[in-house]
Amino acid sequence: MFQVKLSLPNTDPHEDSRRNLDKSYHVAFLHLDSMFAHREYESLYMSHIWIPSSRCSPTTVPECDVTDDITATVPYNLRVRAILGSQTSAWSILKPPFNRNSTILTPPGMEVTKDGFHLVVKLEDLGPQFEFLVAYWRREPGAKEHVKIVRSRGVPVHLETMEPAAVYCVKAQTFVKAIGRHSTFSQAECVKVQEETLPLALALFAFVGFMLILVVVPLSIWKTGRLLRYSCCPVVVLPDTLKITNSPQKLISCRREDVEACATTVLSSEELFRT
Amino acid sequence: MKAQRASLWFLGTVFLLSAVHARGLRRCLIAMDMRHIGESFQQIKGTIQAKDTFPNVTILSTSGTLHSIKPLDVCCVTKNLLAFYVDRVFKDHQELSPQILRKISSIANSFLYMQKVLQQCQEQRLCHCGQEAANATRIIHDNYNQLEVRSAALKSLGELDVFLAWIDKNHQGTPAA
Repeated sequence: MFQVKLSLPNTDPHEDSRRNLDKSYHVAFLHLDSMFAHREYESLYMSHIWIPSSRCSPTTVPECDVTDDITATVPYNLRVRAILGSQTSAWSILKPPFNRNSTILTPPGMEVTKDGFHLVVKLEDLGPQFEFLVAYWRREPGAKEHVKIVRSRGVPVHLETMEPAAVYCVKAQTFVKAIGRHSTFSQAECVKVQEETLPLALALFAFVGFMLILVVVPLSIWKTGRLLRYSCCPVVVLPDTLKITNSPQKLISCRREDVEACATTVLSSEELFRT
Repeated sequence: MKAQRASLWFLGTVFLLSAVHARGLRRCLIAMDMRHIGESFQQIKGTIQAKDTFPNVTILSTSGTLHSIKPLDVCCVTKNLLAFYVDRVFKDHQELSPQILRKISSIANSFLYMQKVLQQCQEQRLCHCGQEAANATRIIHDNYNQLEVRSAALKSLGELDVFLAWIDKNHQGTPAA
């Protein structure tokens, strides 16, 4: 949350810092001694005591996160010096001293989404010191604004179950209890819930399906019946030549005549053998 | 009958005044992040208390000194004890370990800030100092003086949890900032 950045002399801030160091110091390595914090208590009661920073004692980069050192709402003096081999620079002291109640907080990053009919917000993770005040409302005249305190970081939070065809808006601000400060509210983000088209589509689909069932099922039953009939009890279709169109008595008469014709034919053959 | 009514009125007034003054302390400490101070102390408590060579002696808890403080005297005693720690205990304690020194410094600076807040309350006449508050403070200072200064400072540091718990108890129920 609180960072100290050092600007190195004779350097172009737009160039890579290590290249600059090579230019200025002709070495590839710059060692920064401990960053010391001289707090108001030490300043008033123990002026000779400087306390080394918890994270930057020592450090090799020209910036330091002093959040864990700035723990009270009092003025802090900071000092830093550089060490290069056996050489040590003079102390550079922060002027004026820093008091964390001078912090200006900025609105948090926010992502507003809808999960079905649920209004969901996800806030950026700014660390354990931060809390968020989230305000949300239905965008219509006379709508009441609701406020929710959110402490979970980087995790989606459910705000409200929305009503169809309504627009809902959300905005958020950061709050740090340790210094009693709020940021301004972020820009409001609004989401709209679509009309309830699903039941209409469902009804249409159901109707079409019902009609299909009305047609397909009887057809299927009929077809199946025919198949079964042909399988179990097939109907034999005789060709016309085998069809009996005359009465059975005439058939018998015709057969007798045929037999006599056959007998005559047999006598004719014996004669053929005699000859 | 009249005497009874007068007594009831008197008790009611005393109760109301006590409530107002107790609320005064709570209003005074509204913006304080006491949890952070407690966490800082918990990280060094074991090390500090392990060095205490007089475990059977206490500085803050003689005859329940703090627990017998009335609501009306809470603000004044808190102010006095903050001054006790800031002006004597933290100064008299010699700490060599940078890690422990960092935590003690954090607590000391937080106490400085609390003193400033209570100072504002005193200017608004919300922090009355009566005889009982003065007596309780004197007992604690006497206990401190009976020990060698380094031992007294170390013991008082080790009893910070008693002081912090007492502040927290009297601070309970205050709405968040």
